[in-house]
Amino acid sequence: MILALARKLKEAGILGMNRRNASYIMKWNPRSAFSLVDDKVLTREVAEKYGVATPPIFLVIESHGQIVGIEEALGDRREFVLKPARGSGGSGIILVVDRRKEGFVSQSGEVYSREGFTYQIADILSGIHSLGGQEDRAILQALVHPDPVFAAVTHQGVPDIRIISYLGVPVMAMVRLPTRASDGKANLHRGAIGAGIDISTGKTVTAVHRAEIVSHHPDTGNPVSGIPVPFWDKMLLMAARAMEMTGLGYLGMDLVIDREHGPFLLELNARPGLAIQIANRKGLWRRLEEVERAPREIFSTPESRVEWAVKTFG
Amino acid sequence: MKKPALWLALFLFLFAGALLFYRVLFLGYPLLPTAPGQTWAISIDLYVETGTEGAKVALGLPAEQAGLMVVEEKISAGAQSLDIHLEGPNRIGIWSVPGNREKTLVNFQTAVHVKRGRLGGDTTPPSRIAPPAEGGEEEALAKRLVAGWRNLPPPARLRAVAATASGRWADPPPENQEIRAWSGVREKLGGEFALRTLFRAADLSARSVSGLLLTNSVVGSPLRWLEVYDGQKWERIRPDTGEFWDRRVALLPLMHGEREAIRVVGGELREVRYVIRREPLSAWRVYFEQTRRSERFLDRWSLFRLPEEFQETFRILLLVPIGALMISALRNLIGFPTFGIFMPVLMALSFRNTGLWYGLGIFFGILLLGYGVRRALDKLRLLLVPRMAVLLTLVIGCFTILALVGGRIGLREFMAVGLLPFVILTMVIERFFVLVEEAGAAAASRTALGSALVSVITYFLISWEPLQLTFFLYPELMAAVTALQILVGQYSGYRLMELFRFRKLVASR
Repeated sequence: MILALARKLKEAGILGMNRRNASYIMKWNPRSAFSLVDDKVLTREVAEKYGVATPPIFLVIESHGQIVGIEEALGDRREFVLKPARGSGGSGIILVVDRRKEGFVSQSGEVYSREGFTYQIADILSGIHSLGGQEDRAILQALVHPDPVFAAVTHQGVPDIRIISYLGVPVMAMVRLPTRASDGKANLHRGAIGAGIDISTGKTVTAVHRAEIVSHHPDTGNPVSGIPVPFWDKMLLMAARAMEMTGLGYLGMDLVIDREHGPFLLELNARPGLAIQIANRKGLWRRLEEVERAPREIFSTPESRVEWAVKTFG
Repeated sequence: MKKPALWLALFLFLFAGALLFYRVLFLGYPLLPTAPGQTWAISIDLYVETGTEGAKVALGLPAEQAGLMVVEEKISAGAQSLDIHLEGPNRIGIWSVPGNREKTLVNFQTAVHVKRGRLGGDTTPPSRIAPPAEGGEEEALAKRLVAGWRNLPPPARLRAVAATASGRWADPPPENQEIRAWSGVREKLGGEFALRTLFRAADLSARSVSGLLLTNSVVGSPLRWLEVYDGQKWERIRPDTGEFWDRRVALLPLMHGEREAIRVVGGELREVRYVIRREPLSAWRVYFEQTRRSERFLDRWSLFRLPEEFQETFRILLLVPIGALMISALRNLIGFPTFGIFMPVLMALSFRNTGLWYGLGIFFGILLLGYGVRRALDKLRLLLVPRMAVLLTLVIGCFTILALVGGRIGLREFMAVGLLPFVILTMVIERFFVLVEEAGAAAASRTALGSALVSVITYFLISWEPLQLTFFLYPELMAAVTALQILVGQYSGYRLMELFRFRKLVASR
């Protein structure tokens, strides 16, 4: 029974963890390139060079002494995001929506005193949220105002779009929609739902919620499928450029769509998860193999790679 | 990509296999190291009376031969020095007893290890040197008695001669008058001499042996038997009845030839007692003694050559790679979550001191307490490194209290708590907390339970003595373990858990 199930998964082209690690991550992602995607400050620097937009950064705090410079750097901005440069899984991120006399007001309504906020930054600097536990930097970044396209299927927070690209070809995509269970975070582990996006049409398909396939948002009750994602071609192109940007052959790009500025690259992931297959009800492995069999000439430019992907992954 | 890994694994397998075969086939290592044979402790008490001059005692001792190993020997009473002489197949211990003694006890103790079924299966052919002729007249009579059986094959001839001890004469029987004459010889010189002479007259190699039947017993004198070569093996025969000793019976020779197993010169032997008892000697000791005697290269480089106090460590250490292999398999073949690879192994090692149940209890107790404290610490807003320092101190504080409580109530398992891996325990608390925050209490508990389960399995694995002994004897098996680790490392198929995670994707098709 087990063998039969394994054979079925193989026939469906489902990618497993072991194969992802051995045949794609270890083969195509050099360790030296990891630091580029693990550190958001470095990611932003290289993204700028390739004309890929990221949310503006007001201040990078590297030491406790710099914490006093927050007020000056923020100027009269009332809202911003505090995040660790090397954080993962959304941990350590605070969305500040207002500044008052008594302190900073977060999106969930919590008020951080100056002292409490300083503690959060000190925590980030000491490396609590960083991937390997090393010392870290804290970033004050512009707050993104999400495009209303997903408002009907979002509970608070900012939905983000994950595109996996292989050898510079976008192969699979999904949009992660925050729920009440995920506490407004677009994180599948915490209970956000992930809706697959058809690469060629740019419309959402089915969704995954805690390993179950769902068709409606659990909090708003609205259907998650059939939503056309704006700026789809532009985002595919951004994802396709990531290979030249980072030197990583297999990566996941996380994007957000700002109401005024359009898509921003939020972060890159050198070990993207496998749940995207459930969201799309499609196997990644099959698509990765298709990319390997693609004619050589399509790999010459990001545009030609996107064109091939849109044609192939319908 | 994958080929080199497979070749390396194959090479490691072959390397381990070749060394193993070499040891088993050429160095006589056992295939199943737990069944090496039996060990017998023999205590010999002699009561000797001496005249003014003092006396010398000559005692036949077990000599090492194929299948027989002398594990230890000592004089525990009655004499200061022991000289051991080797005479042909005999090993004779000679010592002096001072003069003017009444019934002095001389005690000698020896322990021998006998491989199963090896005492009684002697097949070495007799030496070509003919034994000296014994008594011309009797010999001539003996030759006439066996003349009719000269053309029988040796085994049949042997049986015919042996049967004469009980008065049965096979066809063609010799003349009655000569049989009667032979009865006279037997009465005068003894059944053993008569039988031995007949065997030799019938051209069969025969020798007398004094020794012991290895069974739990106390005997007043050694047993005597005849060993006769039937062309293929030595048969052992009771001289009084001519019956054969079954080949499975372990008879331990002490003295070959006509000499007595004990002789006292210049004094009188008052009493003799052989106490024979089976000893539950551990297999470790047997192999230790075996390799200590060998000058073969691999034996000289055996772990048994280490001083005994260091051997203990390696018995356990050699099994740790199997634990690591198991953890690799659980993670990559099954997809079972654990707190890293070292934590379960280190926990398993410490369970050997605290005991399994106490160890597990202490682990979960400290983890829960640590989690509670970690939650509280979160509100204090401590920086990372000092916060870990506080947790570490908490863990060691718990150890101290447990050890003190153990000391009060006399519970060794609590006192041994200091051997738990405290650094790992501290990190487990921190990781458990982070896991609860990020993935929920259910996922964190699963990982904690998974780690504990793997620790328990690893504990049983490294405590299994036959496995310890096997790896200690054959450390090259680690190469085979590495080969398996490499094979697990290059497995790129689905993990068992993934089959369930993704099964909806194929079911909905």
